[in-house]
Amino acid sequence: MMSTTQTGIQHERTARRQLVSGNRLVALGAVAAGCRFFSGYPITPSSEIYQAMMEELPRPENAGLALAAPDEISALTYCVGASMAGYKAMTATSGPGWCLMIETLQYGLMTETPVVVAVVQRLGPSTGGATQGAQGDVLLTQFCTSGGYTIPVFAPSNARECYELTQAAFWWSERLRTPVVLLSDKEVGMTLESIDVASFERRPVPERAAFSGIGRYVPYACEQLEEPPPFAPVGGAAKVVATGSAHDRDGKLRKNSPEVIELLVHLQAKIAAHAGDMAIFEMDLQEKAETLVMSYGTTARAAREAVNHLRAAGRKVSFLKLMTLFPIAAEAIEQAAEGCRRVVVAEENLTGLYASAVQTLLRDREMLRVNGIGNQISPLQIIEAMERAR
Amino acid sequence: MMDPYLVKDAPLPYCKGCGHGLVLRAFGEALEKLQLPPAEVAVVTDIGCVGLADALFATPHTVHTTHGRSTAFATGLALADSVLGAARLKPVVMIGDGGAMIGINHLVNAALLNADVTVLVHNNFMFGMTGGQNSAFSPLEFVTATTPAGNAVPPLDLAQVLVASRASFVARKITSDHDLTDVIARAIAHPGFAMVEILELCTGFATKWNPLTGAQLKQVAEKAGYALGVLREERRPTFGDGYKERGKEARREGNKENGAGPRFAAGTEVAQRLVMAGTAGERVQTAAMLLGQAAMLCGLHVTQKNDYPVTQGTGFSISEVILSPEEILFTGIEEPDAVLVVSADGARELERTGMLARVAEETLVLADTDIHLPELRCTIQRFAFRSATGPKTAALAAVAQWLDMTGALPMDALWTAIEERFPKEMESTRASLGKILQTT
Ligand SMILES: Cc1ncc(C[n+]2csc(CCOP(=O)(O)OP(=O)(O)O)c2C)c(N)n1
Ligand code: SF4
Repeated sequence: MMSTTQTGIQHERTARRQLVSGNRLVALGAVAAGCRFFSGYPITPSSEIYQAMMEELPRPENAGLALAAPDEISALTYCVGASMAGYKAMTATSGPGWCLMIETLQYGLMTETPVVVAVVQRLGPSTGGATQGAQGDVLLTQFCTSGGYTIPVFAPSNARECYELTQAAFWWSERLRTPVVLLSDKEVGMTLESIDVASFERRPVPERAAFSGIGRYVPYACEQLEEPPPFAPVGGAAKVVATGSAHDRDGKLRKNSPEVIELLVHLQAKIAAHAGDMAIFEMDLQEKAETLVMSYGTTARAAREAVNHLRAAGRKVSFLKLMTLFPIAAEAIEQAAEGCRRVVVAEENLTGLYASAVQTLLRDREMLRVNGIGNQISPLQIIEAMERAR
Repeated sequence: MMDPYLVKDAPLPYCKGCGHGLVLRAFGEALEKLQLPPAEVAVVTDIGCVGLADALFATPHTVHTTHGRSTAFATGLALADSVLGAARLKPVVMIGDGGAMIGINHLVNAALLNADVTVLVHNNFMFGMTGGQNSAFSPLEFVTATTPAGNAVPPLDLAQVLVASRASFVARKITSDHDLTDVIARAIAHPGFAMVEILELCTGFATKWNPLTGAQLKQVAEKAGYALGVLREERRPTFGDGYKERGKEARREGNKENGAGPRFAAGTEVAQRLVMAGTAGERVQTAAMLLGQAAMLCGLHVTQKNDYPVTQGTGFSISEVILSPEEILFTGIEEPDAVLVVSADGARELERTGMLARVAEETLVLADTDIHLPELRCTIQRFAFRSATGPKTAALAAVAQWLDMTGALPMDALWTAIEERFPKEMESTRASLGKILQTT
């Protein structure tokens, strides 16, 4: 698996690089993961993923199906249908389209249907700014379910990570039979970067654990609450009973029997139990550092640059880039913050959305939120905020 | 003998006399008649009383979905199976009139796609499960929980909507029709999208508040101007057939984009941050891309950020390019090393965003001759990019000029990048750029 603490950035200068966008690499990452079905609806800044999938999936070597949906509700719903038939599926959108998808996303969660949604953030609320970047959908993607179930959210900060984390998104989606969000943003998605695509590792995602075919198929038979039930496709030999309503192991509607409640607990337990394995991050700690700078997505790059400047000036600063936003990489955050007096969280939104999600982990440490909207947060902004707070 | 499709003698979860029970019986009989392998039938139910049917099916797959979305789930199943699978799956949707309206776009699109989905619309003229509220299908004067004085809005003619949506099979029936089973069987057997709307009674509410019996359903249809019977039945390729056909011609080889290995030595040893500003449609982004390509030919890392107004194709076009021997972190430009301004649109946008205010003393600003720029911290160097090379080459001319002045990359790297990308335009472009380079 690709749960690593290093991204393996290569510095060798002999690579055959090409200028590629993060969006295109989401599409290529999906194909590499074995995605077979895509349905999309145009919206800036995610449209390029849709276009790239329309190009890539029909190729003979990819043997997939990509099609236009009449709206975002249909786009995700087609994907969930295709996934129920046993095919890895993905759609892509931005804030306004994501809002329309939430109903079906919850259905995917409840029916334990794997599906990946790439959300390329732009400035909100409402239609906001189509060509203006932002990191404002962090909590909207996470807390989109009634009940606050944890939706795994992976956040790339550059084009290469778009490729790698899309594969991770498929891996966990299939492994745990759950919807997963790949949370990109306009800067990461649309900026072209010089990349040696040929050097990328294609890691096909294994098929979801299948029903053995022996005996009667019990669609929601999870023996351990931490593991998903075995999968059987709609259209296969075993009769499938799927439902978005509260159900027992047989998929029968039940009001609030202990079994129904147990299966609802299971939906959360299977994610929580694998939180540690799902954590992908880049940690660069300095001994005796009093400050930890933490960030994700496009802002992680500015944060890294700020840390480099500060260190060059002789300051001791630790750095943590989170690529798994949810489930929260609690261990990594606690380890990185160990011994630090202050934790800086930089993100491009108004109030520090992710900071609010991790605040309780940091207990008595001082938290400095560096936020802003309308422009990328710059390294200078982060440094100045830190200097002011000193 | 196969096991029956429906659970035998199961108590129905509906009110006594509810039309849903009659449709269910006919649907079961249709399945018996067709003798489809049950593993190839997926009953996809919507929300509402109509959606309580799942447990009544003994052998087919059942998928109980969300309100109005059943047709879209079924479409996903059908499309995936028809293109990626064995093309045998028959999803049959059971949906109420409430669900049909909230999810009407899913019916319309399934019809347009000609997805192999059958939709049975159980039209009892109102919302049953939630307590008898009016729906888009309630007839005029119909009394419901939410139209106590009688409904004043005329009812939707869904069959007509679907005919207009090029559905390949459309029928409207009444529960008491003796051929209901046959029409449902025909709809399921039909290759492609099929919709059967069945007019029926909600005995829980509709018949309590309205003088309505099964025998009067025909009059309701007449009053609403509803045509009855099979209204359209034609063969046309399903989405799956078409996809496979088109794919045969359209499927192209994987893209063989030229990667760039280092073939030249960069002149610069530090990062260079350039802002290029011009007008949309005048190939500013192409010029930026060629510069990036040239830098990659020198083994540099590159990022390129393009910005344009919400409506693509008019107004300004800005490209921010960073070339660096090191990995590039922050992709924004706080203090540019060079600013190339080739149109008034671009100049205005740079002023608006504050980029010009961030110009430093050492920044190189190359601007077209006639463009107004405010007072800057550095001197502005003027060139006749537009008039000498034409508006569509002006940005590239500025790039060439900047390279010529700074030696950040060898000129040959740029020529090679142009040649690889636009071999046919190479000569003319080079001649054009020569006019600018000679003037310095
Ligand atoms: C998005 C959404 N809105 C509203 C509801 C509440 N709801 C449940 S059943 C129903 C009415 C269904 O009416 P109809 O489709 O006509 O089916 P019937 O009950 O008459 O069989 C509604 C509105 C829901 N489940 N989901
Ligand atoms: S309320 Fe109406 S639709 Fe629902 S079961 Fe009763 S009669 Fe049927």
